[in-house]
Amino acid sequence: MTTRTITLANRDGATYEVDGRQPLLKSLMDQSVDLPYGCEYGGCITCAGKLIEGEVNQAPQVALNNRQINNGYIILCVARPLTDCVLEVGVDSHDKLYRNPFLDPLEPHELKADIAAPAPITETPK
Amino acid sequence: MDGACCGPGYASPAEAMQAPREKLLYTIALYVGTGLQKPDYVATIDADPESDTYSQVIGRCEMPGIGDELHHMGWNACSSCHGDEGMERRYLIVPGVRSSNIHILDTKLDPRNPSIHKVISGEEIKRKTNLSAPHTVHCLGSEIIISMLGDAQGNAPGGYLHLDKDFNIVGRWENSMGEIKFSYDFWYQPRHNVMVSSEWAAPNTFMPGFDLEEVGHLKYGREIHLWDFEKKEPKQTFYLGEDGLVPLEVRFHHDPASTHGFVGAALSANIIHWWKDGEDWRWEKIIDVANEPHPDWPIPVPGVISVILLSMDDKYLYLCNWLHGDIRQYDISDPHNPVMTGQVWMGGLLGKAPVVNGAKVTGGPQMIQLSLDGKRLYVTTSLFSTWDNQFYPEIRTNGGVMLQVDCDTENGGMSINPDFLVDFGKEPNGPSRCHETRYPGGDCTSDIWL
Ligand code: FES
Repeated sequence: MTTRTITLANRDGATYEVDGRQPLLKSLMDQSVDLPYGCEYGGCITCAGKLIEGEVNQAPQVALNNRQINNGYIILCVARPLTDCVLEVGVDSHDKLYRNPFLDPLEPHELKADIAAPAPITETPK
Repeated sequence: MDGACCGPGYASPAEAMQAPREKLLYTIALYVGTGLQKPDYVATIDADPESDTYSQVIGRCEMPGIGDELHHMGWNACSSCHGDEGMERRYLIVPGVRSSNIHILDTKLDPRNPSIHKVISGEEIKRKTNLSAPHTVHCLGSEIIISMLGDAQGNAPGGYLHLDKDFNIVGRWENSMGEIKFSYDFWYQPRHNVMVSSEWAAPNTFMPGFDLEEVGHLKYGREIHLWDFEKKEPKQTFYLGEDGLVPLEVRFHHDPASTHGFVGAALSANIIHWWKDGEDWRWEKIIDVANEPHPDWPIPVPGVISVILLSMDDKYLYLCNWLHGDIRQYDISDPHNPVMTGQVWMGGLLGKAPVVNGAKVTGGPQMIQLSLDGKRLYVTTSLFSTWDNQFYPEIRTNGGVMLQVDCDTENGGMSINPDFLVDFGKEPNGPSRCHETRYPGGDCTSDIWL
């Protein structure tokens, strides 16, 4: 097994050794971390956490729009760690997850992946 | 309890209106989305003004797991079984829309403290029927059908779960979903062999929250569907277009001979009326709630009609504008020409009634339930956890409230009862959010007559 070390920044920096092939939600709950969840297939956003450092594969998720992904959110019930990671978990990591859709609309490239426009090309400073 | 004859419920809507007053309410309360790692529960509320614990939560039936998002619920039997003395209105069917678990609560052993009788796991439902996200529960004779908003992966259009009277999974109820794109609510009128269903969105679309842009990408519904109820397949679709964006709650007249029915289009903030005209079914828009300006908003605020309900005598239609913060009463004696007869304010984004009966109202009027005699309307303020978090983020710490509105059934008119307030912000395990309500003796959204 490929072991990764997961640090929970908003749980006093507690660390857990997990199997890189397992979704993070399962690995952490198996080690008695109390986490919110709902559908467990990556569609309902209940289990969202924030990736502070590291890399995950969360290809099966369909809950997040590109704005949320750019803000670092990951869907723990399907995300598998590719490296050691530092995370914030639970509802107290959701400060940027929810926004009033009338006051703060999404740009076309910030929608969910299946309907998003390509990201605008930003000029790279010479 | 229920009416005098044989089985559950009442011989007619007129008989239901004569039933004894409701003394207990069962109301959904949520911890999903609050950050409190507690199960959702069904709260029992004392609604008897003679009682010492009037307007208080007196029982809490916790679900076995966390994260269900309890939402709507229904009875195992209603007036459609009135002639069947083998049936009784005893079990409350309480689905979790996120987990897909369906909880069966026994309300007879101790009506003040319902207990879990059985749980049908979401995993079993997905495996046997490829359906998820249970929503509306109706019974048909002694069987039960539940609208399911998605397939096992949360994609539209979902379908209908069929349970037998002992809560075993029979399979899928419908023979075909036809061209239907989304599911949500439904109601049927057996004498006319018709069922009408409405459209929210795929679970994978609405559960994470509301992205307005997805409406334009056709990720939300704008059609309603008429079904051949016996053949269990759709036979006609009404494309409501911009007038019918996100059509949610479906209500037929209670009178089983009537073909008139109504749906509230949440985002368009319109009421759509349908009826049978000779051999043809027709529809029209009868109420259009205007968007309201808001000092901080670049665009006017839509009402967002989250619920509608008809009084048992089919005289009044009630609707809630969850974002504006008002409940309206319309006389629909002529269903083509509704007349507004009452309006009250609580919470909402327009700032018209931030505090009611001494409690801060976070959220707006959302789910309502009306007493059988039409005089008492019970109101709760939370819509759906992720949507609450977008529009009323303070609900996480403030919780929801339940209020009661007195309704004048003779001349029309509404007023908030100053003596009734259930503040779910003060629940012993922390602030929770209240949603749908039902009464042991049946209510204005549970019973259908054959
Ligand atoms: S539990 Fe639903 S997205 Fe993870």
